[in-house]
Amino acid sequence: MADAVKERTRPPRRRRGGSTPRSLPYLLLAPAGLLMLGFIAYPMLSVLYYSLQDYNVTKPWRNGFAGLDNFRQILTDDPFFWDTLAFSARWVVVEVGLQLIFGLILALLINQTFIGRGLARALVFSPWAVSGVLTSTIWLLIYNPSTGVSRYLADAGIGEYGTSVLADTGTVFWGAVLAELWRGVPFFAILILADLQSVSKDLYEAASVDGAGRLRQFWHITLPHLKDAIVLSTLLRAVWEFNNVDLLYTLTNGGPAGVTTTLPLYVAQTGIEGNEFGYAAALTTVAFVILLFCSILYLRLSKFGGDDK
Amino acid sequence: MSSRIPRRTPRRTLARGAAAVLTALTLAATATACGDDGTSSGGEGDGTGTITFWDNNGGPRTDIWNEIIEAFEAENPDIDVEYVGVPISEVQSKYDAAIQGGEGLPDVGGLSTAYLSNLVAQGALDPVTDRLAESGLEETLMPNMLESIRTTVGEGDEVYQVPTSANQGVLWYRTDLFDAAGLRPPATWDAFFAAADELTDRGANRFGFTLRGGEGSIAQALDMMYAQSGIDSFWDGDTTTVNDPANVEALRNYVDLYNTVTPEADLNNDFTNMVATFTGGEVGMLQHNLGSYADHVAAFGEDGVAGLPMPTSEEGGPHTFVSNPVDGLGLFRSSDNKEAAWRFIEFAVSHEMNSRWNESAGQIPSNLQALEDPWIAEAPPTRAAVEALSDENTTIVDLPYHLPDWNNISKADTEPNFQRLLLGEMSAQEFADDLAERLDEAQAEWQEQRR
Repeated sequence: MADAVKERTRPPRRRRGGSTPRSLPYLLLAPAGLLMLGFIAYPMLSVLYYSLQDYNVTKPWRNGFAGLDNFRQILTDDPFFWDTLAFSARWVVVEVGLQLIFGLILALLINQTFIGRGLARALVFSPWAVSGVLTSTIWLLIYNPSTGVSRYLADAGIGEYGTSVLADTGTVFWGAVLAELWRGVPFFAILILADLQSVSKDLYEAASVDGAGRLRQFWHITLPHLKDAIVLSTLLRAVWEFNNVDLLYTLTNGGPAGVTTTLPLYVAQTGIEGNEFGYAAALTTVAFVILLFCSILYLRLSKFGGDDK
Repeated sequence: MSSRIPRRTPRRTLARGAAAVLTALTLAATATACGDDGTSSGGEGDGTGTITFWDNNGGPRTDIWNEIIEAFEAENPDIDVEYVGVPISEVQSKYDAAIQGGEGLPDVGGLSTAYLSNLVAQGALDPVTDRLAESGLEETLMPNMLESIRTTVGEGDEVYQVPTSANQGVLWYRTDLFDAAGLRPPATWDAFFAAADELTDRGANRFGFTLRGGEGSIAQALDMMYAQSGIDSFWDGDTTTVNDPANVEALRNYVDLYNTVTPEADLNNDFTNMVATFTGGEVGMLQHNLGSYADHVAAFGEDGVAGLPMPTSEEGGPHTFVSNPVDGLGLFRSSDNKEAAWRFIEFAVSHEMNSRWNESAGQIPSNLQALEDPWIAEAPPTRAAVEALSDENTTIVDLPYHLPDWNNISKADTEPNFQRLLLGEMSAQEFADDLAERLDEAQAEWQEQRR
């Protein structure tokens, strides 16, 4: 038995003749590096390349080097680009803000001890397991004028028959926000709950002894502790919401009259429906630069990772 | 601030690293860009083996195609047909992606003249003109469908698609609701507008009409415009007639129906939602093509619904229709097994198979013998469509399927504008002028390329 332990704890035998070759770390990193080149660098460079081209598969006679023309057109001669960018910004701010608030509230609630907490946690997290397209289908049924909520409200004498939240430019935004909120809140609840559980109970006890109420405890203990989790989750979610295509594509397809078209949806329409792949690549590049700039600015302003707890 | 590069790292190692990265990048780029572009010329093959067939309306037409494939394989035991059902809404982008990706194109593919010119422009299809003539198949097919295919591509007499069926816009109406209200069938525009008004009772969830305000709205709006105005051509020289005053007036009449005799939610209606609104509620009329006949019969029974060709200005007057895309099969240039692929095409448009397919789809067969089959006489909407099409007084307005931009113009560019028009944010004149400008520009570019 003792021999066996000795055998297991023996340090690895060094190669005779000296240290490992200097290329070994590079060789070990090479597979990951090649995968990154293939799946990240190549598509990005490809998009950059096409953004400098006129490229339309159905009009080969037009194809060729365009220089910065696509970018010039986007920035100076494409009002719809600015509309979609403004809508994307509004969508991100409202979605991420509401998801954070509701996620925080739910996380604080299900962090308490009460009967049925396990079931409550499962219910809170369950929408996160539903795919975007399925979420849209559920909400399309809810908003359906023949079988959805508006039909039953009309039966009860509230509102008119044949209406839908999604067919009114005044309500479609909030209809889509609600659907995405349902799916997005669990993301914040999960991350915040995980971080909440690492707050030392001693801090709350000490604060209680000092006479701090629950609100002051939340403000001075809980929130500072959650800062990094909140910064990281809002950043991730903001990028995801900016790039949101699945839910809006299936729920509103950017309509009615283009009022719910985000920049990525505009890219998809330009490339896939319009076959203008060069212009769509330029739009993608612009979106990437905007996201990169906003992400760096956000991390700087929030002093992410700084030791200020 | 200390240097981020360890001092002991020799410059030569960095240079080597950079060279390795560049080489790897170049290799990666080369590896992903070296496929062909789907236009390689393929080969005839020996007439046996496996061929791949893409159905361009996978789902609704899967069962009937599987029946045809089974019969074909029984008659040709040396050939296997691999069926791939592609949803109708994605078929064009799937073809485009396969062409650009350079692989994965089928041997035979379901096509529509709505996107035929795109595929021809990309060099993906083999012309079948000689095969049609040599096999004698040409003599068995409806000449006007072949002509429509030739016109769409506009490359002399070359044919790039073997027609299987044609479609026709139909005004569907609920016979039970019309009978209960004592209304006559909506054969004229006056009767149509009066019935739409009469059958509407918004407080009781009853509507006279449902329209298509979402995806696919433009072709339907054009059908309503030209059928009312009676203008007999889409072009007046190189200028479109879309914004002709008579068409603008017709468009105004059509749009005025929205949210007065239709549900407000029609603003977002695509084909599925529009048919669901008609079949799932108390809606008097719907304008769609023959393809939705089976849905209506399933919802109301054969006696509960009827279909008429688009109304006329006066009782028994001449009809004006816009051309519906002709459906068919194409032989892909990259196929390595063209002999077997052509045999499958021939089989699919033979009298029996073409008749069976069109009976199932409720559409107009391309095979001349199939047009005489009893099921057509027993399907009143199809019979009426065939009769109207065969009537020498009928005018067919050819939509510009030849324009590579047609799909883009009639969808991404203009559908949001149509919703603005329905919402009152745009006038009929502004909408028509904008559409006309895009079409004239696309036509001018197309003409320029043909010179």
